Amino acid sequence: MDEEYDAIVLGTGLKECILSGMLSVSGKKVLHIDRNKYYGGESASITPLEELFAKFNAPAPDETYGRGRDWNVDLIPKFLMANGLLVKLLIHTGVTRYLEFKSIEGSYVYKGGKISKVPVDQKEALASDLMGMFEKRRFRNFLIYVQDFQEEDAKTWKDFDPSTANMQSLYDKFGLDRNTQDFTGHALALYLDDGYLQQPAIQTIRRIKLYSDSLAKYGKSPYLYPMYGLGELPQGFARLSAIYGGTYMLDKPIDEIVLSEDGKVVGVRSGNEVAKCKQVYCDPSYVPERVHKKGQVIRCICLLDHPIANTKDALSTQIIIPQKQVGRHFDIYVSVVSYTHQVAAKGWFIAMVSTTVETNDPESEIKPGLDLLGPIRQKFISISDYYEPIDLGSQSQIFISESYDATTHFETTCLDVLKIYKRGTGEDFDFSKVKVELGEEDQ
Amino acid sequence: MATNRSGAAQRPNGAPQTKVCQFKLVLLGESAVGKSSLVLRFVKGQFHEYQESTIGAAFLTQTVCLDDTTVKFEIWDTAGQERYHSLAPMYYRGAQAAIVVYDITNQDTFGRAKNWVKELQRQASPSIVIALAGNKSDLAAKRMVEFEEAQAYADENGLLFMETSAKTAMNVNDIFLAIANKLPKSEGAGAAGAGGARRLADGEQPRPSSCCK
Ligand SMILES: Cc1cc2nc3c(=O)[nH]c(=O)nc-3n(C[C@H](O)[C@H](O)[C@H](O)COP(=O)(O)OP(=O)(O)OC[C@H]3O[C@@H](n4cnc5c(N)ncnc54)[C@H](O)[C@@H]3O)c2cc1C
Ligand SMILES: Nc1nc2c(ncn2[C@@H]2O[C@H](COP(=O)(O)OP(=O)(O)OP(=O)(O)O)[C@@H](O)[C@H]2O)c(=O)[nH]1
Ligand SMILES: [Mg+2]
Repeated sequence: MDEEYDAIVLGTGLKECILSGMLSVSGKKVLHIDRNKYYGGESASITPLEELFAKFNAPAPDETYGRGRDWNVDLIPKFLMANGLLVKLLIHTGVTRYLEFKSIEGSYVYKGGKISKVPVDQKEALASDLMGMFEKRRFRNFLIYVQDFQEEDAKTWKDFDPSTANMQSLYDKFGLDRNTQDFTGHALALYLDDGYLQQPAIQTIRRIKLYSDSLAKYGKSPYLYPMYGLGELPQGFARLSAIYGGTYMLDKPIDEIVLSEDGKVVGVRSGNEVAKCKQVYCDPSYVPERVHKKGQVIRCICLLDHPIANTKDALSTQIIIPQKQVGRHFDIYVSVVSYTHQVAAKGWFIAMVSTTVETNDPESEIKPGLDLLGPIRQKFISISDYYEPIDLGSQSQIFISESYDATTHFETTCLDVLKIYKRGTGEDFDFSKVKVELGEEDQ
Repeated sequence: MATNRSGAAQRPNGAPQTKVCQFKLVLLGESAVGKSSLVLRFVKGQFHEYQESTIGAAFLTQTVCLDDTTVKFEIWDTAGQERYHSLAPMYYRGAQAAIVVYDITNQDTFGRAKNWVKELQRQASPSIVIALAGNKSDLAAKRMVEFEEAQAYADENGLLFMETSAKTAMNVNDIFLAIANKLPKSEGAGAAGAGGARRLADGEQPRPSSCCK
């Protein structure tokens, strides 16, 4: 440990592991430390099942849960957008070769107390009970507009300037009603609240395009999920970092981040050892005095021995409950994975209900989500603070990631990583730095 | 019966229907015992006197042709994560074979190798095929681990055992071939059971299960 590094990365959550990989690939000498003896921090998948029960102080699971080691339960639920940033990072860095994925079978949205499939093509749109006859036609015109929309070609904007006009005015242009706006903004564009309505329409158009491009990739839904759980993702990027020379130390407590007189980081101390470095990259838990609380996220892990009603017995789904449907500011998300992803014993399902906390009684906030699940065999609730750094780290050279938000995909995660990389290195990540041989090895 | 450097599945004459089986093989052992050198010798037929500590290449494939079967090894090298005992569980996951390497000129590395074997027996799939490789056999003059001692240990634990030299190529192909022969090649053997799962970059079709016609 007593060496000098370009960068020391603290914590092996997904963001830190991607950063570590990108830094190593760029030729930096990286030391990557975690205080835990496992990879993943908050983005770990807990295994065996006994470990999960112990973590939440619950009595050990009985034999109906099958073999404990067949379970890998995520603490933070997220899916990958098939055409999203994380998939691009995985492919460009070659990390995808360590992983296998399955498509999420269906994406549902909650309306008037029940769930409906988010239509993925014209046929489904016509059959959908989300809209009436005339609304369907208007929605179709809207989708065609978005599909044909090209940012570089003003002709496709059709007398509408998407960089100045807001999204509300685009909805109004097509005469879409509140319900349609709701599922478009929340189940297609994946906004957490309604702030986007007053923002330039271009942002929402990009998101709907991401949704439909992702859908076009594999069909059933725009989402992918890794076999054995999300915990595989940080491990894959950690391996990338190690392949490019990164040094890994788990189970290593960090006692101090050592600063020079002018407040710039010079090293990291663990016991009597100090590793010198020029920069530190870390998650908020390593620097409580350098982050502030922005809010809270509630997540409820539910173990079920049956699929969710009205999803055609799907082995995986996402259900979005738009805020307005249940009188809230933020959406409630339900994500379901199961034994088919090697994250649960045969016959078992894991549903996760999550949202951004708005009241003093977060547990009752997620009730509409829990009510969709049917009988729940076991429930684990966690409420986590959501932190962001107090500064950008330019003076201290300590670059801190934001906590994982309530979104159910990785787009904000990747954007945070790319921003931090740029703050730390002063440049955008150059994907061509990943050695070509990496691709050629895979004959 | 030779290994096939092109990596493409070759079919012996007169046997048009060869079964292709894919297996994940992991390397374990102390730093500098020659793990990467063994892989480099096996996959590319090369040896570097000053092989750097593993950087940049830790995932290689190589194919071995048996009589009726083509065995494709997906070879995982540790990428140095073993240095501070920080190997990710992903590394072992689904591994159907392992080569535990020690350096015959260094007794400590043999002790470490025994620990790796213990961990494999405890943590890995019960059907994993484990081979023990006493590497750097070209340096017999500096030998610190007796052949008989290692052979006896291997016999006790049901391991394949050979002394190898990545430098002279002695027994390198042979140890992979011995593993290929010992691996179960029935339909679906060792498969993760992950029907329909896909690798993203590889043409986006579902990956064949580890053993398929
Ligand atoms: C050296 C070593 C160190 C490890 N360190 C860690 C660690 O630090 N943290 C960690 O989380 N994991 C660790 N592991 C465990 C490793 O991650 C597991 O082997 C892996 O998670 C299990 O996945 P698998 O796909 O290999 O399936 P395996 O469990 O290996 O098995 C494949 C198949 O064999 C069958 N099978 C396996 N075991 C049994 C059994 N006992 N009875 C009946 N059938 C069985 C199952 O049907 C399974 O589908 C370590 C493993 C090894 C070898
Ligand atoms: N004489 C001799 N030297 C060898 C042999 N195999 C490897 N070496 C040398 O031993 C050194 C270490 O070899 P590596 O292949 O890098 O060892 P490794 O186990 O992959 O090491 P790490 O990547 O650090 O874990 C290199 O200098 C090799 O040239 C061998 O069979 N004979
Ligand atoms: Mg090596």
